[in-house]
Amino acid sequence: MSTESPVGDNFTKVAAADEIEQGTGIAVDVKGIEVAVFNTGDDFYAILNRCAHQQAPLYKAGEEKINAEDTWTDTRGGVDAENATVSCPWHLWEWDLETGEHEVTGKCISTFDVEVADGDVYVSI
Amino acid sequence: MGSSTEQLDPEAEVPEQAFEDYIIDLDFHVNPMTDELMSYVEDDVIRDKLTTEFGPTPVVGKWDAAYAIKEGTEGLYTQGRAEYAEDVREACKKFAIDEPIVNPGINNLNQQHHPLLKNGVTQAANDYMLDNFADEGMYTSMMVPKWDPEYAVEEIERVGSEDNIAAAYSWFDPKVPWGAEQFDPVFEALVEHDLPLLLHGSLAYWPQHTHIGDEMMTWTEVLGFDWPIHGMVNVVNMIMRGVFDRFPDLNVVLQEAGHWWVPFLRYRMDEFYEMHPEDVKITPRKHEAGERYLDRTPSEYLRDNFYLCTQPFAMPRNAGEAEGMLNLSLAEDMFIYSSDWPHQTLDPPTWFYTSRAFDDDTRQAILHENAEDILRL
Ligand code: FES
Repeated sequence: MSTESPVGDNFTKVAAADEIEQGTGIAVDVKGIEVAVFNTGDDFYAILNRCAHQQAPLYKAGEEKINAEDTWTDTRGGVDAENATVSCPWHLWEWDLETGEHEVTGKCISTFDVEVADGDVYVSI
Repeated sequence: MGSSTEQLDPEAEVPEQAFEDYIIDLDFHVNPMTDELMSYVEDDVIRDKLTTEFGPTPVVGKWDAAYAIKEGTEGLYTQGRAEYAEDVREACKKFAIDEPIVNPGINNLNQQHHPLLKNGVTQAANDYMLDNFADEGMYTSMMVPKWDPEYAVEEIERVGSEDNIAAAYSWFDPKVPWGAEQFDPVFEALVEHDLPLLLHGSLAYWPQHTHIGDEMMTWTEVLGFDWPIHGMVNVVNMIMRGVFDRFPDLNVVLQEAGHWWVPFLRYRMDEFYEMHPEDVKITPRKHEAGERYLDRTPSEYLRDNFYLCTQPFAMPRNAGEAEGMLNLSLAEDMFIYSSDWPHQTLDPPTWFYTSRAFDDDTRQAILHENAEDILRL
């Protein structure tokens, strides 16, 4: 992937903005750290990809379920644009995308700054 | 400064090493669609009643996980809904599960009211599973109706020898515990067919409309502790009433009954029995056999005749503490991995790789060896 960053030296390009569909995420390995990048529709957010509960890959939140039409909610966990949270695809722990906090336990995982420039998404590790 | 980035493998959700191990999952739920399931009911009169707007399982529990999680009732289908073998295969791939032992997951059946209607659902579920799973090369546990031991034996005779029927599936609950003598014909049929008895929690919970039942208001109390307590009650009842002196080859697996209580039971059963053994001779099996005591110490039956599914594992984070608990709980002899897919309580096989508490022998025993010892594969 190209290396020039128009948004600052410590930002790394992770994807073209249109590669991350609204309500979904991708995961990338940036400098050895697994990062999940979500498009809530309002904004892009980057958070550590591994859930602190049992290490689920958070970027799978919003993935369509098997036989989704025969269930009620269609997706495994998901992104909540209004509250800027993501619920984990395994057990639905809800992570604040701004602060990285899980309210019930008070546990936190890292979040990262995101910039969008020229149609590309950049993350600062 | 830029840096190269790499997208992660979307097919893998658990640690890489899990894909190298052979993993059997002893509790994988299938959820047939009601209409299709009902089309398998053979008796016209029964099918007619099961397909009224009342539905095949109209009796509901007093408590529901729906109050306890944000997605409400969707907790039953957090991962999706497997209806056919290819759905199960797709689900297992990302969790590195090689051999799921599927069951038709109608766990509220035991709680329903009408025995003949329940038998109709059991027959239909077993035939659905034979057609869509066993015949597709997938190991299946057949349903055994606890409420009707005579029909249970008939059903074991009918289905139990079919290819890929690996186990029998029933429930532990707050009703008649499995030590009762009325289940002897079922045990006999199971041993004859070389099938272990899997006992799953049953949504029947604490006896409802009782002082304790009425005061339970959270899912943590109900599913978290009601099931283990009834699991323990059933285990001790079976041991002390001499089930395993009469059926030494019977293997019983508790699913979702918890597992960290093993040390408590081991030491407490032995202590009590050794101090107070004189009532064993008035339990019906022992009395009939003219025997005074159990053939072995209670904890020996626990180790040899019982197995416990691990989901949810609820491991201590400290590896030293976790290792101590695994040892005291006889994990290498008794634990069997289970995922509980597709429920919100799902347990993918992560612990075995993220915790340093497991040596390779314990890991292999839990992931497949203990299951291989008892399943009819
Ligand atoms: S692994 Fe994320 S909620 Fe359990």
